[in-house]
Amino acid sequence: MSKWRIIAKHEYLTNIKRKEFLFVTFGLPLFFLAIMGISFLFMGIGTQSEENNIGYIDRTGLFDSSNLTKYTDEELARKDLLDNEITNYFVIPENYTATGKIFIYSSRKDFANNMKIEGQINNFLLDNLLKNEPPDIIQRVKKPIDSEYFTLNENGPKSEDSGFTILIIPLAFAMLFTLSIFASSGFLLQSVIEEKENKIMEIILSSVSHEDLLKGKIIGLGALGLTQVLIYLVLAAVIILINPVALLLIVSQIHISIPLLLAGIMYFLMGYLVFASIMAGVGAVATTSREGQQIAGIFSLAGAFPMMFSQFIFSNPNEGLAIALSIFPLTSPIAMIMRLSTTDVPLYELMISILVLAVSAYFIMEISARIFRASLLMYGKKPTIKELITYVRQN
Amino acid sequence: MDKMEKTIEIFRLSKSFNGQNVVRDISFDIKKGEVFGLIGPNGAGKTTIIRMLLDILRPDSGEIMIRNASFCEETKNLIGYLPEERGLYKKLTVFETLLYLGALKEKDSKERAGMLLEKMGMITHKDKKISDLSKGMQQKIQIIASIIHDPDFIILDEPFSGLDPVNMKLVKDMIIELGKAGKTILISTHMMEQVEQMCSRIFMINRGKGVLYGSIDEIKSRYGKNTILLDFEGDLKNISGIIKMNNSGNYAELILESGTDSQVILKILAEMVRVNKFEMSTPSLNEIFIQVVEGT
Repeated sequence: MSKWRIIAKHEYLTNIKRKEFLFVTFGLPLFFLAIMGISFLFMGIGTQSEENNIGYIDRTGLFDSSNLTKYTDEELARKDLLDNEITNYFVIPENYTATGKIFIYSSRKDFANNMKIEGQINNFLLDNLLKNEPPDIIQRVKKPIDSEYFTLNENGPKSEDSGFTILIIPLAFAMLFTLSIFASSGFLLQSVIEEKENKIMEIILSSVSHEDLLKGKIIGLGALGLTQVLIYLVLAAVIILINPVALLLIVSQIHISIPLLLAGIMYFLMGYLVFASIMAGVGAVATTSREGQQIAGIFSLAGAFPMMFSQFIFSNPNEGLAIALSIFPLTSPIAMIMRLSTTDVPLYELMISILVLAVSAYFIMEISARIFRASLLMYGKKPTIKELITYVRQN
Repeated sequence: MDKMEKTIEIFRLSKSFNGQNVVRDISFDIKKGEVFGLIGPNGAGKTTIIRMLLDILRPDSGEIMIRNASFCEETKNLIGYLPEERGLYKKLTVFETLLYLGALKEKDSKERAGMLLEKMGMITHKDKKISDLSKGMQQKIQIIASIIHDPDFIILDEPFSGLDPVNMKLVKDMIIELGKAGKTILISTHMMEQVEQMCSRIFMINRGKGVLYGSIDEIKSRYGKNTILLDFEGDLKNISGIIKMNNSGNYAELILESGTDSQVILKILAEMVRVNKFEMSTPSLNEIFIQVVEGT
């Protein structure tokens, strides 16, 4: 077995047992699921608790209802509300048809319920205002559009999903990608710094070349990242199996998933290479793990940029910022995945993005390898920028 | 001796960092089966030479030949190395550590690891994590790790620094044993006594430049029998005809000015202090070292 493989295997097996890995792999998704579960639960409680009992006072003489309690005396309505006989009442003033003004009274503030009450009142008003129209017209006034989107090209129209479902999956995808790339390159940083701090680095280097060490670490921890993605996919599959709603969401997306997945894997690998190389270089230069985290933080922040602008990229996938982020090598792996999942990215932009990423991955790896070689054994002494430039220029 | 096979040849080696010449035009060779001392004060360039020997650093110029061949990846498997700055993975167990370090030398070291642990009295700790071991025990593991793959050539950089007396003896015995087994050993140190006891030949380096090279006996004889080793009681004062006096209280090394008669000095000394032992000798390696470094 060549030496980089021994190192890769060692890195993989020691890091897969790390608490941090187990937390990022299982803890975080469970944490998100728990949060989602809890909010669903609360939504459930919200819908069950109500059945608002609403009263009204009509000063126009136009309205009538079998569902709502009609009051003629506002004093009585007020009393019933305070006695909790009704949850709300509203007053339709005489000039309602001219102004649209309605006064709604509740015994307590409840914003979540307001929408619902308004919906009920809305229905009541429309039913009365349109009582001479046929029922389907009433329906159309209440919900005038049920939209479906298509994109048109030479091959004819193609149906597109709209709204929330189309965004949630790529967003989740991008988040997991980001998480995996950052986690595994973070482990690489940690492993380099630990070997320096433990002072075992020199023993390792007396057995393997710098190149094999770097290669072994990058490949071993890259495999760890892929394992993590695989675990995420399995977890997602399990959720789909036990939750048919999620299944529907995913199935409706399958027509965009396969090319996206291919692009995803490519961007994942190259994105990982870029970040792993940077972290290897940072690890070699840093004297303590805290210092390493600080320097690495700058790069991670750049990498997380597309996540911060995800709303913007999703709503304006073909605008300047989204395009720029999908070409700049530190941000392109995530930004391009986001764009690909929301819009048809022009082929030349995709090519430029991949080319820029591949070329930068190569150069960053080269530069990092040189810095790695020159500064690994400089205990307690951080090279200056000038020295770093000399290292990079060497051989 | 010269006909012996050369394990290592270093030819006109130079290395500089940021314009500072750390190693300047150095040449020496190490013969098969000898215990060789690379000596010099701290910061002289010893570790840099060793790192170049191991291909951890690349020389700016010069050549290193190991067994008549240039360095390649397999060469690393022939060499055992105990660096001055040494440590281990804290979270791995003793056995895992040794197997991994053995694997990096492309050796399956299960049996040998057991054998060496047994020999060092560490076998009961084999499944303990390194972080649970005492410092002395960790040092033993580092020593075992350096020879886990049964190397032919062993490099020990300041092997005695930071060792407790028990481990110091252990390393000493190990060096003697490995020497007997025909291994080639390079010891880099500034502790002259150890070198004098164990090495047959030395290379002395100061500020990156080679200053002495040869067998210890030969080097000493070059300085002649100009030294008095004195065991005494009393108050030792300066004596004319003595150019240097290393006084440790009741033991002293006196360097004679050339042309001084040692018998005259003995008479003066007998009057000054109570002489327990008086011996004419070659200077100690330590004295030679100090003289060379100070340029006297």
